Amino acid sequence: MKRLLPKSLIGQLLALVAITLLIAQAINIVLLYRGAQNQKIVEASVSAVGRITGEVERINERGFRERRVRRDGSPRVRRNRPNITAQSSIEAGQRRLPAVEERAARAFDNMGIDVRAVEVVLVDMVPANMTNSVIGLGRERRRLRAIGYRGTVNEIDGYIIMSAQIADGQWLNIASAVRDRNPKLVRTLFFQTAVIYLILMIPLIWLGRYISRPLKALTKGAQDFKPGASDPIEESGPPDTKQLIAAFNDMNGRVGAMLDEKDVMLGAIGHDLRTPLAALRVRVESVDDDNERERMIAGIDDMDRTLDDILSLARLGRTDETAEPTDISALIETVADEYSDMGEHVSFTRSGRITANIRATLIRRALRNLIGNAVKYGKQAAITVDKTDDKLLIHVDDSGQGIPENQMEAMFEPFVRAEISRNRETGGSGLGLTLARAIVRDHGGDVVLQNREEGGLRASLILNLN
Amino acid sequence: MSGQTHILLVDDEASLREPLAEYLTKQGFRVQQASDASQARSVMNAFNFDIILLDIMMPGEDGLSFCRHVREKTETPVIFISAKGEELERIVGLELGADDYVTKPFSPRELVARIKVVLRRTNNGNGINPGSGSIYQFSGWTLKTDQRSLIDGEGVAVPLSSGEYQMLLALLSRAGQVLNRDQLLDITQGREAHAFDRAVDNQVSRLRRKIEADPKNPEIIKTVWGGGYVLAGDVKTL
Repeated sequence: MKRLLPKSLIGQLLALVAITLLIAQAINIVLLYRGAQNQKIVEASVSAVGRITGEVERINERGFRERRVRRDGSPRVRRNRPNITAQSSIEAGQRRLPAVEERAARAFDNMGIDVRAVEVVLVDMVPANMTNSVIGLGRERRRLRAIGYRGTVNEIDGYIIMSAQIADGQWLNIASAVRDRNPKLVRTLFFQTAVIYLILMIPLIWLGRYISRPLKALTKGAQDFKPGASDPIEESGPPDTKQLIAAFNDMNGRVGAMLDEKDVMLGAIGHDLRTPLAALRVRVESVDDDNERERMIAGIDDMDRTLDDILSLARLGRTDETAEPTDISALIETVADEYSDMGEHVSFTRSGRITANIRATLIRRALRNLIGNAVKYGKQAAITVDKTDDKLLIHVDDSGQGIPENQMEAMFEPFVRAEISRNRETGGSGLGLTLARAIVRDHGGDVVLQNREEGGLRASLILNLN
Repeated sequence: MSGQTHILLVDDEASLREPLAEYLTKQGFRVQQASDASQARSVMNAFNFDIILLDIMMPGEDGLSFCRHVREKTETPVIFISAKGEELERIVGLELGADDYVTKPFSPRELVARIKVVLRRTNNGNGINPGSGSIYQFSGWTLKTDQRSLIDGEGVAVPLSSGEYQMLLALLSRAGQVLNRDQLLDITQGREAHAFDRAVDNQVSRLRRKIEADPKNPEIIKTVWGGGYVLAGDVKTL
């Protein structure tokens, strides 16, 4: 059921209006139809009352007379006049119409006609004994004499039979055709409903678009939101929506300002920490003890790398570098060479050319972190590249102890380091994997860790191609 | 004046400027210090300098603006000392006509090596960085010096290490000229080769892996037996 519901505002609005209108029209149609049904019967009963009144008056005036006979002896047919019987011609089990009976009794009363009882039923066919006492039938017995509504011939929709008991206890019986005055009533009502729908749709669609278009623009604006870099969304639509968009634009501005502030602050931190670090680095050169000096330099370099990682992580997503098609093999080779130059064991066999759209400085940093971890904690880094249709996987395998499965995800948390690295005082910021994953995720890919069956850890950098 | 190289060191941080000046003096340079751009201007009126070391972030007029001023007036080479390692900063600096940059914290030895490289380049008549950066086109490749990027015929960037970049630039700017290992080391690293130095051969073979169709039969960087390396083929400079 939920699936059938329209998803958009305008769709739901239209569906709601359509359903409401349908219900209203249905009630309307039922009422009108029932009204028309009643009306037909009332009309038929009015003529029946008229005939009986006439007959009663005639009897009162001339006295009751036996039916006259023709010269040949056959009884003269008194067409369309009530017949007279000792018993009511209405049988039990027929569909009585009490409302009509009551109404007829009142009418007789009003006219001063002495009628003791009135019985009225609705039947489909005129009973055989009453074929000569029917109002509204021509010679053809099925067609109506009257011309109906707008030139159509009215259909006969059953008959009522009225029996009235007069003062002397006899019953006058008359049938009256129920004429369907407007057989196209239902069709007319449906046509009317359709017209109302069409007329309503136009302003509704317009209203829906008026409301939903700025909302859609707002949704898109929020989805594509780049702090500080997004253009403000045009304020349009109803006043509420305008206010919402204005508030959103305002928020956009504030977020942008906050991020700008953050960037300025980070720049200042970077500057203020790097300058004394640089001073220290220069002074260290005058340390005579070679061993001591190298250790101090390593310490300063470590601090610098940590600072760099922190600043990069904080600035991620705000870089000005644009993604460009880059030769991935050459990139891996460059990073691998950096480490082999430092005397680390890094192997990479170039396997043809692979290009991907990346921000090379950032991916280089991510790779550097993965390879750096491998040589630091896993003695060596063996790099292989796997390419599927839409993915590029760069695996960095080491020969270390791996990481317990339950600590695997925690490795990506900032400042979390594996036990082994803490024990060995290998240093590092604890941001390497965090930063690598953040960079690659920013590219729409991911970094995952897994223990290798042969022992050691595999870090995979996964990039989406295209 | 002696044959000493005369350096102008501009940095607002005395804590860095003073030990650095001391270190450079020990290395045999003559160093003049300035704590901001205006002081640097007045010092420049009084002396001639061989090279300027310039901090980018300074109160008042910043390093970039001062570098532009220097470029308008003189041909003195400039090396930026920047606390920002952001790629953009480097490009802006090099586009403004700086000849090189180091990022804080830097190794003073590396700074000295870079000073020597820049001086050698300018003294060899190759001139200072023209500012907008040059574009070299060779064998379907394009090297843009302002972005330090190497791009192939299909527009794909091929990342180079800074050593490889320096090596390629040295060979490109002297295309057709045979350069021996000593010359290449001198141009790219400002140092002399020690015995059995494989640094140049290493860089060349790495470069070949990246740019040659068949690194075993190089077409672009050719080996001259007993001589050194030469960049073959046409080079267009834009």
